[in-house]
Amino acid sequence: MSEVKALHERKHVWRDEVLLIISLCVFVGIVYFLDGAFKPVFNPSTLTLTGVVLALVPAAIWLTFFYLQDRAEPEPKGFVLGVFALGAILASAIGIPVVDNLFRVSHWLRSDTLTTILGGILVVGFTQEFLKYAAVRYSIYNSDEFDEPTDGVIYATAAGLGFATVLNIQFVVSNGGVDLGVGIIRIAVVALAQAAFSGITGYFLGRAKFESEPVWWMPLGITLAAIFNGLFNWLLGILNRPTITLNGATSNTWMGLVLAAVVALVTTGVILALVRGSIKSLQAGK
Amino acid sequence: MVNKQTSLGDRYAEITVVLLTLIALAVGWAYKSGIENASVPFSAEGISVEAPKGWLQAEPAGTELLHTVDINSNGFGATYVIRKVAVTEGATTSEVASLMTLNYAQDLLAFRMLDQREVTVYGRDAYEINYVFVESNPDLTHAQIPSVVRGTDYVFLNGDHAIVVSFQADEKTYDLDLGRFHLFLESLTF
Repeated sequence: MSEVKALHERKHVWRDEVLLIISLCVFVGIVYFLDGAFKPVFNPSTLTLTGVVLALVPAAIWLTFFYLQDRAEPEPKGFVLGVFALGAILASAIGIPVVDNLFRVSHWLRSDTLTTILGGILVVGFTQEFLKYAAVRYSIYNSDEFDEPTDGVIYATAAGLGFATVLNIQFVVSNGGVDLGVGIIRIAVVALAQAAFSGITGYFLGRAKFESEPVWWMPLGITLAAIFNGLFNWLLGILNRPTITLNGATSNTWMGLVLAAVVALVTTGVILALVRGSIKSLQAGK
Repeated sequence: MVNKQTSLGDRYAEITVVLLTLIALAVGWAYKSGIENASVPFSAEGISVEAPKGWLQAEPAGTELLHTVDINSNGFGATYVIRKVAVTEGATTSEVASLMTLNYAQDLLAFRMLDQREVTVYGRDAYEINYVFVESNPDLTHAQIPSVVRGTDYVFLNGDHAIVVSFQADEKTYDLDLGRFHLFLESLTF
């Protein structure tokens, strides 16, 4: 039974990832349009509440697609939600305190380009990617339900979206709410990026469990995810850099969304190809 | 292909991931410290000090020789000030500190003295005062409610002058910023 299940490619997983990217971009467009068209007026409480609800949307979209399509070999819904919650808890309990309070990255990370890249990889990247890895490795990984390589991507994505949800809620709450148009773009960017980097860790986790990989395999996965994380945030900082004119300061946050969508699509494509290759080699050797 | 059991190799890989993360964070910490502790030499009227690099050096006012602010701080920016105050012959550090306290009480909002004592700072006799006040300067760049600020002053006597070194920071970050201030204080020569 285990042998048959482990050779499934589970195409819907990739469909879910692509649908998440497309749906989020469409959702951002709708919110941005509605915000511009109706210019809703909020008081501080409803502004914060609206921001928190919007922060939950990316995870809700992914989980909805996942549950609708995961029928052939369904993952236990409680497990996926549990890993999502674990990612969120680790972000809240360790990730944000370590990065914001212990390392106080806002004080020094943007000092210069080298610092932004190095600090982004060594501190932000490694902290976030290790915690998302831990959310999977020390929970579902040893369970019988983690029974095929693609499960690494599924559970790591769930952990990543949990992590992203808390990052977004923290951003909304610490700013006392956000402008809907700009806020929803930021929320989508964080969710897409965190899901994409988690996918990398998930691929390495899946292979580590089902193939005899060398000791450096999993450290390589975390390092790659951390490097992509750091480079992404550096690029995002460049794209979101405000332009100052006589009319005031403007920032093109849409470019950040384009970058996040492209990174997520490319990452999904690469991981899909790698997982397919892995499954083919397993089929050939079984 | 089966769902393989955790092997010794898996355990080594797991430990390696943890070690790698700890090493990355340790290197990150060292790098952060290097950036935060970077300094530029400052010298005026016989007083030399290593001022934090990347901080905003404001125009000194009155008796101030140096007024530098961490513009990346959240809330009230960590601030170091060096003043050179003329004193009468025979004045003690505690008397100068009392004068400083009176000035603060007049100028600062909700000023409270927390404690004061004689101390030795890197081999020099000094008088330490710890106080708190509420930020009251208008600031268009901060869309936040005013911060509660904690401050510490060290008063040194040097001939016919007193040198007053002040550290003020948002009470939320005061303890975290204190280490950097001690480096600044250690580099002070006059």
